[in-house]
Parts: sequence; structure tokens; C-alpha cells
Amino acid sequence: MATKLPKPDELAKIDFTPPETGWMDTPVEIKPGMFCWGAKAKNLRAVEFPNARDWSPAEEDWKLPGEWEGTVLEAMADRLSKYRSFKLFMDICVRCGACADKCHFFIGSGDPKNMPVLRAELMRSVYRKYFTTPGKVLGKLAGARELTYDVLKEWWYYFYQCTECRRCSVFCPYGIDTAEITMMGREFTNLLGLNTDWIAGPVANCYMKGNHLGLEPHTIKSSIEFFLDDIETVTGIKIEPTFNRKGAEILFVTPSGDLFADPGTYTAMGYLMLFHELGLDYTWSTYASEGGNFGYFTSNEMAKRLNSKIYAEAKRLGVKWIIGGECGHMWRVLNQYMDTWNGPADFLEVPKSPITGTVFENAKSTKMVHITEFTADLIKNGKLKLDPSRNDHLKVTYHDSCNTARGMGLLEEPRYVIKSVCNNFYEMPENTIREQTFCCGSGTGLNASENMDLRMKGGFPRANAVKYVRDKHGVNMLANICAIDRATLKASMEYWVPDVTVCGTHELVANALVMKGEKERTQDLRLETLPGKEGN
Amino acid sequence: MVVVEYAGLKINLDDEGYLVNPDDWNEKVACAIAENEEVEELTKDRMDIIKFMRDYYMKYNFFPILNGICFQVHQQKECVKKQFMDPLKAWKIAGLPKPNAQVVGYLRGEGGVV
Repeated sequence: MATKLPKPDELAKIDFTPPETGWMDTPVEIKPGMFCWGAKAKNLRAVEFPNARDWSPAEEDWKLPGEWEGTVLEAMADRLSKYRSFKLFMDICVRCGACADKCHFFIGSGDPKNMPVLRAELMRSVYRKYFTTPGKVLGKLAGARELTYDVLKEWWYYFYQCTECRRCSVFCPYGIDTAEITMMGREFTNLLGLNTDWIAGPVANCYMKGNHLGLEPHTIKSSIEFFLDDIETVTGIKIEPTFNRKGAEILFVTPSGDLFADPGTYTAMGYLMLFHELGLDYTWSTYASEGGNFGYFTSNEMAKRLNSKIYAEAKRLGVKWIIGGECGHMWRVLNQYMDTWNGPADFLEVPKSPITGTVFENAKSTKMVHITEFTADLIKNGKLKLDPSRNDHLKVTYHDSCNTARGMGLLEEPRYVIKSVCNNFYEMPENTIREQTFCCGSGTGLNASENMDLRMKGGFPRANAVKYVRDKHGVNMLANICAIDRATLKASMEYWVPDVTVCGTHELVANALVMKGEKERTQDLRLETLPGKEGN
Repeated sequence: MVVVEYAGLKINLDDEGYLVNPDDWNEKVACAIAENEEVEELTKDRMDIIKFMRDYYMKYNFFPILNGICFQVHQQKECVKKQFMDPLKAWKIAGLPKPNAQVVGYLRGEGGVV
């Protein structure tokens, strides 16, 4: 069982003293609270992942298949020949240490193997042993070591203590993308059935039912109907969205978390209100009902399989282009992989806003536009009537999601949208935002319940920056554009900075949006009374 | 497995307090589970929430949105937390199987949704 989470003041005492022994001679210790439970056989079986069996990382025996070393080395040889980036990243690090103190997990845990350079070295050492002449001949002298059971456990433990956030890569003079090394580490261990259930469960759900949570089509519809009731309560307007409608101009895809859990539900209400107000010709889909992609945290092939339904549904419905909701890793996948995996989407058109006429040239290849790009364009062209004073009780800061910031350079649009709908906006310190943003600490499928110790350690640098603006400016709202952020920052704020609430950006938009025919707003989307409207 | 005795009934619960066979459920069974969960009395407001959860699960195979429950049973927002402290207690009293880890993580405030 996971240990009890220490109190914040205890967890904030971070010991940066390295062990007395060298890193190769310091065996891995699998500590409770720092890892997620092993994947259940039924979830691995559902997607035909290898070595489906129940297993526990806390036990000595991980029930590996026979000849497992050969499986890993064969896969490593294959990926080295297939991905030039991986080969390059194995070869070129000079261990300058620029990345060492940039990782939120190192800052929060003090464990040297969470320095990105050393985490990568866990794999590079094995690479040298089997794939380089100096390593083969000189062994440890050349920084090489054999792939043993203990080394494999060390890989698994530390590659599941990296959120692939890529902050370290920003500081690397060679531009080594350490996230790609973690991705390979997960891909290789996945071949041995060493996945976590927190990832394997949603992957199986997504494969069988279309989304991570396992919402069935009529359940998705029911969730949205709940939102419509609340929207009617707040605005007096009855919205009637469509589902799986052929011939709609736009398909809308968003993470399924927003269809179930607060505060993501308020973000989803924001989309509904915005699209209604515009009279947008769009449809929801109960088939392509997941924007996120937990397959991305298992293997390239699985990510591709789960992603394929977005274009398939766009084609089936005959839409012209796609809008995607607020999500983090969803956008890394869409922006950098989707069109080469499952495209070309030549049956779609280059996205053009039917409201402003703006052509989204940046989405020429994927045909998919981020909702904050869409909304920022609407505001810039004066197409929305906004009353930012409705958000005057909020002092807002903005957390850049790692994937949208570093993965697609989406830095200005969310800020422009938030500043247009809120009068009180304050940035966190410069080295914690934009391309230097700190991870929430729970991305890449690490947002489970049993590893809260790890999550709160990793979430500490972000929380510390929030605390700074809370103390300096009285910030009480942390806005973001990511479903995992909405879920996990809520938990880390409750732990580290309890008086700061978390919201999606389109919740703020919808609260400020003046809709045609609406009644006087006295409540926000959370059904909380707006300041000054207490008597209504 | 735990066997709970209540007003002459013997009810099988699993180690976490979920009813082993959801078909065994009736209002008397609900009272037995409520006692096991240290929920003092199944008032009408509480029973309305429980019945709604059961009906919803039977139809949609999922945990309903918390705010939606309150709207549907005409109670104040956050009614489930107000009535039961922990929404999972209400779910157990409704005799329903343990939700998936993502739902449980969310309901516990650990932000589990993916």
C-alpha cells in the first residue's frame, strides 16, 4: 500500500545530498508513494499488449517473460535504426549539467537520478555496452553497463518519474529532447508488460469505448445534458448541441475528463456557450470522444491506433475541419504526430473561421485548430461581446501547459484570451512560465492516487511560483488549458497553496460572454453568486 | 469479504464495503450498508440521491456528474458531499460496484481524471 502523504512542511524539506556510492553502484530502491500500480492483465489483454498478467512493482518478482533482455536489445536496435533523433540523443550528451537542476522532479525530490542527464544516462550506459565499440571493449571505464534485472527496474522506476515535459531540453546546449529518451524507456519496458494500470486502464477504455474514462455514447450525451441544465440556470438560455451530425462544418474533439470532473466540466460548459452564441455549425462526436491519448505513454504504435479515430470520424461525418479543446498532451500528439501517423487529411479543408474569415495557415497540414487560437481570433476581430467585470472577483495567473507551450509554441493566444475576459491578470516569475514553464508534476499518466508523494514533490516548483503571485498580488485563480492540469493542479494547490482555485480558460470566457437573450447573470458557471448580486 | 447483519438480514460486502451482488439491493440493504458506512439515518433527501445514483448507473453504466445529481433531485449544489461527506459512501449505500480508479481518484480530491 502507498504510504501516507507527509505534510507539506515535511515534504518541502528536500535533501540534496547525493549517496556516497557512485550512481552505478547505488541500487534502485522502489519506494511506496513514488510509483503507480502495475497494469492488470485484463487491461493489457484488451489491446494485445505483451506479457499480460497481474504484477506488482513492490514485489521482487516482476514476472518477466523469458529472454526479456533479448526483447529489449532487439527493440533498442530497431528504434536506433528507425529514429535518428534517438541515436543522436544516445551519442551526443557531454554531461555539462545544464539540465540537472531544471527538472521539477529533481527540484522536488533531490534524487540525483531525477537529474535529466542522469536519467538519460541510465539508458545511455546500456546503449554503450551493446551498441558502441568503446563500451563493448572497455565496459564500465567507458560508462557502459549490462542490462540486468536491477537495471531494468531502475529504468522503469525513473522513466515513470519523468513527465516528458521537456523543460530540461530548453536548457540543453545540444537540444537533446530527454522526453524522447523517456518515451523509448517506456516503449521498451512496455514490451515486457511493465506498464502501469493508471495508463493501461484508460488505454483499454479508449480502445473499447472511445475515451479514457469509458463513457458510453449515451453517457456522453447525458453528461452534456447535465451541463445544459446548469447553463440554463445561469443564463436562461436553452442550448441544443448536436452529436455525430453528418454534414456539420466543424467536428469538435476534447478530452473526456472535461465531461465528468470539475473544474473541467465548467470548461466544457464554456465551449457549449461560446459555440451556441456564435451559431457555429459544429458537432460533438461520441465516437471520437477523446482528445487525449494515453497510448502516447505506452508506445508509438498504440498512440497511433488511438489517434486514428479523429480523422476517421471527420471523414465519416464529412466535416471541413476540426476544433480541439483545452488539453496538453493531446496537442503534442495532434501537432507533431497526427498527420504523419494517420494523414494526410486531404479530405478536409484548411481551417477557416466561418465567423471572421481568418484562415489558420498554421493548421494547414493537421486541419485542427486549438480552441484558444479560434477564440483569440474572434476577440481580435471584435466578434464577442464581453463583460470582463464579471470576473473581477478573480485575480488570475496562467499556467502554461508543457505540451502546448514547448510542444507547439502556443504562448500568446491563451494570455490574450484571458486578459480580454479578466481585468486582473498577473504573471508568475519569468523562469516559470512560457517555454520555461514548470510541469504540474503529474503529466504522462502519473496522475494516479498511489503516487501522491511523487506528484506533490514534482508539483512543488509550480506551486511555489503560484504561491509567489498569491503572496505578492493576491492571486486566487490558476487558469490553464489542459485537462490533466485542471485535475492535478487542483490537488497540488489544495496541498501546497490551498486558497488558490483552478479553472480552464473557457470557463472564464463563458462567464464574461454576453449572450443574446440571456437573463441578468447573478451566478457564475459554478453556480456561485457573483459579487454584488447577492440580493438577486 | 465482510458479512454485515442488520435487522435479521445477512449482507455480503467486499473488503472496501461495496455490496458483493448489486442485485441484492433494496432499501433495507441500503440501511445496513449505511450503518456500516457510519451514515446515521437515510433521510428522504439522502434516499433521493441514492435512488438517483442507482437509476443513473443502471441506464448509463457510470457515476453521474455530482452537480447534475443535485439539479435532478432538486437539492442544493454539492448536496452529495453535504449529505454523505464522501460521495463514494452514497455510491456504496446505493449498492453499486466500485467505480474505476479515475473516478475514485477524482472523488477523493486527488484529481485522478485523465
